[in-house]
Amino acid sequence: MSHFSDYKDLIQADDWALIWISRDNIKPVKITAGATFNTRYGSFPHDDMIGKPFGSQIAVRTRGSNKFGFIHVLQPTPELWTLSLPHRTQIVYTPDSSYIMQRIQCSPQSRVIEAGTGSGSFSHAFARSAGYVFSYEFHEIRYEQARKEFEDHGLLQDGNLAITHRDVCQDGFAIQKGDKTTFFDDERLNESPSPVQINANAIFLDLPAPWSAIPHLDEVISQDSKVSLCCFSPCIEQVDKTIEALEKQGWTEIEMVEIQGKQYESRRQMVRHLDDALQRLRDVKERKQMGVERRKRMFNKLISDQEEPYEQRPETPKTQFNPFGKGSRVKEGDTGFQWKEVSKVESEIKSHTSYLTFASKIVNKTRDETLVAKLADEIRGSGAKVSVPNKTDDKIGKLS
Amino acid sequence: MNAVTHISFNTHVLVRLPSNNLKICELKPDSDISLGKFGAFKTNDIIGFPFGTTFEIHYDNAVDDNVAGTGSDSTSRSSKNKFKIPVGTISVIESGVASRSGSDEEFTPQPELQLIGNSDSNKNLINVGNSIQKLTTEEIELLKQQSASGEDIINKMIEAHGSFHQKTVYSQEKYLKRKKQKFAKRFTVEYLSSSGLLQYLLDKGDVTRALDMSEESLGMILNLANIRSNGTYLCVDETGGLLVYALLERMFGGSNDNEAAGKIIVVHENEHANLDLLKFSNYTEEFMQKHIKTVSILDYFEPPTLSEVQEAFTPLSDDQLKAMKSNKKGAYYRRLKWYTGQLDIIDWATKLQYDGLVVASTLHLPTFIPRLGQRVHGSRPIVCYSQFKESVLELSHALYSDLRYLAPTIVETRCRPFQTIRGRLHPLMTMRGGGGYLMWCHKVIPTDPSEVKAPLPLVSANPEATVTEAKKQKIE
Repeated sequence: MSHFSDYKDLIQADDWALIWISRDNIKPVKITAGATFNTRYGSFPHDDMIGKPFGSQIAVRTRGSNKFGFIHVLQPTPELWTLSLPHRTQIVYTPDSSYIMQRIQCSPQSRVIEAGTGSGSFSHAFARSAGYVFSYEFHEIRYEQARKEFEDHGLLQDGNLAITHRDVCQDGFAIQKGDKTTFFDDERLNESPSPVQINANAIFLDLPAPWSAIPHLDEVISQDSKVSLCCFSPCIEQVDKTIEALEKQGWTEIEMVEIQGKQYESRRQMVRHLDDALQRLRDVKERKQMGVERRKRMFNKLISDQEEPYEQRPETPKTQFNPFGKGSRVKEGDTGFQWKEVSKVESEIKSHTSYLTFASKIVNKTRDETLVAKLADEIRGSGAKVSVPNKTDDKIGKLS
Repeated sequence: MNAVTHISFNTHVLVRLPSNNLKICELKPDSDISLGKFGAFKTNDIIGFPFGTTFEIHYDNAVDDNVAGTGSDSTSRSSKNKFKIPVGTISVIESGVASRSGSDEEFTPQPELQLIGNSDSNKNLINVGNSIQKLTTEEIELLKQQSASGEDIINKMIEAHGSFHQKTVYSQEKYLKRKKQKFAKRFTVEYLSSSGLLQYLLDKGDVTRALDMSEESLGMILNLANIRSNGTYLCVDETGGLLVYALLERMFGGSNDNEAAGKIIVVHENEHANLDLLKFSNYTEEFMQKHIKTVSILDYFEPPTLSEVQEAFTPLSDDQLKAMKSNKKGAYYRRLKWYTGQLDIIDWATKLQYDGLVVASTLHLPTFIPRLGQRVHGSRPIVCYSQFKESVLELSHALYSDLRYLAPTIVETRCRPFQTIRGRLHPLMTMRGGGGYLMWCHKVIPTDPSEVKAPLPLVSANPEATVTEAKKQKIE
């Protein structure tokens, strides 16, 4: 049972769920009959969740008041997992991982090498789309944590991901029987040749020294098709050494890019018209004028020696005109006022994650001449009518 | 041969030219492909090589069999033929034709430059304009006519250049690169990926059609929408099929043999869906009909009722069908097709629960998305693309006040490419602006407040949380 790869309808016991408390508070939880999920807003019995569809809001009344707190129970996806996961290392965030997957054309055709596994967030995204993912982690404790997590999440059972404990910079990528790897645990792969036919066509290196791993790639990459690679390094010096190693090993189309992801809050700004601001000042001025005139009269009485120059201070009425709610706390979006929809960039942005250095390599630029001749003959033999349908616009017309 | 990894007959491929422009070619057997001033070649000559291979066109042995419309007797041919490009032979070359930022050929000094002197600075270089080049335009044209290779022409131009040795090595490289873009007869054949298709649209100036979308936004849509090969997705695609193609590629990787059951229900605004760009895809018609379904917004939002459909048509039993005259069968099957089509529409519009909603539309989003979102299953993502931040902002405000949508977020992603040459790393001086914005949220199922239970006896929770406060928290 995979908690990520199947689209689930109902929340059931033993499911992994992500409980959304707030944007920056998402908790992975294993749904267990009889258990309770506690937050500062209330306690939520798992039994209230079981049997409801994923995405359900669960609410409880808080004690002694008529208010209630609530949570949402979501099915995990790699992107939500990235927001909630326990960090073992710096993680690859979605703006970077999505660009990398798009650029190296990650699909069921991809055989991916990922080194190192780290917190495993990118492994989840790769496993969703790729034909097979070979993930490598050199830190033994992190390897064990990741292996257990992949097992808990059903990634290993899905049969398209294996994690191997390995320092790829030292010992390369080849996987053999007897290595500390989950590869041979899969019954279908138990009888696979050793070393494993990795044939990777997509490589992701998130290592402190990718240049020492690059020379080891040749023995595990696809020999007869294009291989795409991405190195993920925070420092420009690492990029420089990576380019040097890539050039030396015959990688081409080397290009480094940087991704900047931003999120915006949707906010409202009060619309305050000049005319209203003017009117407000006029109002202030008018009432000020009343005081000025009173003092003027008192002064005139004083010089003309009239007795009792003091005039009673008149009761000033509170202003009638306060278009912007000055002095009171106005809530953003208060319907008594006019608002404009605005966006505000998050207060702290990830201004630098890492540099992404892409490259590609084709080991064998040859073709099977006899196969091509045979194919050409076959097509000619079939009388110019081709196996692939005619690519014309009406194909789309027929679709509708 | 695998059409996803190797250049194959009867597929569409991307061809990258020395000018860094892209061209989509269909590889018909026994045909010729012309790349304009960069030459022409026989399709069969490139079949079977892995995607990503760079080829060079040669004309050295000048076999005139292949030459259409040039040579001494060209005067007698029709004027149309005069513009035909001679077809050359082909060889595989090691380095690429040009990379995305045009830098892969630059990292080591060019072999051509190692033989020629250069200057530490350009202090002696005086700009005298065109007269520094001793070769006249006519002479260069003549060289091209003689079908000399690009390299020959460039070498002759360097020889005839009065002050080439006074240029710095950097500026010599730039000169070479410019001339190669003009005269090299090289091209690289690439697999037609969704990024490649997007790049092709942008290159030919079709930014509007792509709704100004960038590769990074496209990738972000696919990930945020959690696109996988077993999902059923509701999709609105105003890019003419680019978005649907990107979904297909992510789900099935260009393979017609993929047995995953994923489906895309495309809701469109006109009577017929415009997925014109799919004509370039290499999926079979059968495959696409299985995985792409199209329905107009009218049929989707106002589907026929079952009784209406059943009233209009009743399928016959096998026996009745056997008894039917063959000349009537055609009409019967047409009606049957209509009938099953109507039943499908009823299913899509009233029964299916979608695993994701992916929209790139210029319809007013605050009214459109909540209605499309109705049939999205709880916990599934909704991703909506717009060229303009204001459009997704308005949408996010609208969804924010709707309890069925959790945490609408406006997302922007931008890729900044670098000149990637050792010792000269820096961001490119210019890049494409724009790229669009996304709104991302999840469909959720709100509780009915009247059904909320009293707290558990053992709660030690802070009773401050109210609905509004919890809602406010979502902003934070």
